[in-house]
Amino acid sequence: MEPYKNEMSTEHRVEAGVEGQQALGGRRTFFGWVTGVAASLIGLGLAVPLLGYVISPALKRRDKPWVAVGSVGGLPVEQPTQLDHMSTIKDGYVETKSHKAVWAVKQAGGDITVFSPLCTHLGCGYHWDASEREFKCPCHGSVYDIEGHVLAGPAPRPLDVLPSKVEDGTLFVTYKEFKAGLAKKVEI
Amino acid sequence: MASKLYTWLDSRLNLKPIQKTLLDEPIPGGASWIYVFGSATLFLFALQAVTGMFLAVYYAPTPDHAYDSIQFIESEVTFGAFVRGLHHWGASGMVVAIGLHMLQTFLYGAYKPPREAMWMAGVVLFLIVMAFAFTGYLLPWDQTAYWATHIGINMVGTVPLIGEFLMKVMRGGDTLGALTLSRFFAVHVLFLPALLMGLIAVHLFILRRVGPAGPWTDQRAELRHEAFYPRQVYMDAVVMLGVFLVIAALAIWLPFPLADKANPSDTSFVPVPEWYFLFYYELLKYVHGPLEPLATWVLPAIVILVMLFWPFIDRNPARNPVRRPVAIGGGMVFLFVVFALLGISLRDLYAVSRADPSVMRGKAVYAQFGCAACHRIHGEGGAVGPDLSFVGDSRPDRDWHVRHHKDPASVSPGSIMPKFPLTEQQLRDLASYMVSLKKEA
Ligand code: FES
Repeated sequence: MEPYKNEMSTEHRVEAGVEGQQALGGRRTFFGWVTGVAASLIGLGLAVPLLGYVISPALKRRDKPWVAVGSVGGLPVEQPTQLDHMSTIKDGYVETKSHKAVWAVKQAGGDITVFSPLCTHLGCGYHWDASEREFKCPCHGSVYDIEGHVLAGPAPRPLDVLPSKVEDGTLFVTYKEFKAGLAKKVEI
Repeated sequence: MASKLYTWLDSRLNLKPIQKTLLDEPIPGGASWIYVFGSATLFLFALQAVTGMFLAVYYAPTPDHAYDSIQFIESEVTFGAFVRGLHHWGASGMVVAIGLHMLQTFLYGAYKPPREAMWMAGVVLFLIVMAFAFTGYLLPWDQTAYWATHIGINMVGTVPLIGEFLMKVMRGGDTLGALTLSRFFAVHVLFLPALLMGLIAVHLFILRRVGPAGPWTDQRAELRHEAFYPRQVYMDAVVMLGVFLVIAALAIWLPFPLADKANPSDTSFVPVPEWYFLFYYELLKYVHGPLEPLATWVLPAIVILVMLFWPFIDRNPARNPVRRPVAIGGGMVFLFVVFALLGISLRDLYAVSRADPSVMRGKAVYAQFGCAACHRIHGEGGAVGPDLSFVGDSRPDRDWHVRHHKDPASVSPGSIMPKFPLTEQQLRDLASYMVSLKKEA
């Protein structure tokens, strides 16, 4: 790119030339060099910690704790039960209690499956219809069987199973949420 | 590459004259290490501004979150303690730098005509820095912050007639609370920075109009006229790097811990102001009763006014300190008084051993669970369990105490001591109390 010239700048360039950049020679270079090093050291000493300071929360994975939701003994066999899931969510320095009811199903063999309480279509809360033995979503009419398979409606995938485990007769659940409306289960 | 870009920009923006003004300012008598304090102060202000902006990324100025957000910065944010440390020590550094800058200006008589306005702007800058320190102290919302500010505001209350009203304005009502915190925050991060930047501009504008004062004798000033760049810039840069390294070292090795969260109902807390307010705090210990307003506001008001109008009070045209015995003598007496008060105050502070809040809580746990029914401490309590008067000497290991109180039989097989339902916090506090029970304490 050809520099745009006007009278003023040419005039000043001449002036700067007269200024005598060459006069001090080596000492001038040394002072400039030390100034540059000092400035870079300060810059680096601040940039590295400050960058880490700002991005550190982005690199932290939110840990999802195991939460006790009730005793296994009390669960009726093949009769889905809504269990309260109470967990403390840490959002930075703010702690909030979240209250969600998950569906626990004790299969005939004694194994326990825990379903997320959100319909896989658009995330409505569904309920268990005890007489027809089906999970029904009131919003758009999705229907699931006791194993979570889709029987009818727009639901794109089976009910989402939450990680669960049994310890000393107590059922523990890790609450997770998944994207609604997708055929694949994608955790948010 | 860089020089090409510069040439290009210069052809558009006509930068050379600006560069000339910034870098070719002649310094009478040449560059000197004695002239670095102003730039050191300016550098510290920049450091405070930068670290302050980053602290604001996480800080929440409300009583229910301020403390937690600072604790979050301290314990969970990467480099969080370091950034907060820089801001904390940077504040102290700024007071030191501005003090040295004023001292040098005073010693060199650089406030004399034609630089009176520059001195006055400087005094106001100094006051703004103190206001920064005062408003910033409350923001962590811990016990120290809360009670020190409580006292600071009460001092304003002793101003005759309008004191009560001023106090309410500062607090935003009758109590030190949510409104106080948010207004201190706004003043600290918005109002004061704007004011400070404006005055720095005025201060530097005057400097560029009248030029630096240089040495106090004209003969020495005439010896040489050296441009600001490169030698003075180099000296300033070296000093800035030195200042940065000192502040960073302090931030790393002398962390500034949080006290307990502010508790307005706990009036037993003895707050300690920052060291740069200590001399004043000490002064107030000597005056009571009807004379109190005299010390809390008449005296400071006079000192500030004298400082502000000093160029008009000191009419002696000489700049050489040897030819200004009254001014130099007066300055020395003032400094002596300030440092004597600071010294006394520091000595007293370190003479009192401050109680560790965790130990105090541990003591409360000990009482709450009726430990004294079985154990004896300094002659009080039952004799079923071991005497704990000096248990800290025989068992200095905190973890042992934690494990022991969680499940006594696990570390002392056969112990008849029952398990108590203690929380983790209670376990730690109780352990602190146990470890503190020592002979020499
Ligand atoms: S959300 Fe359940 S069917 Fe649409």
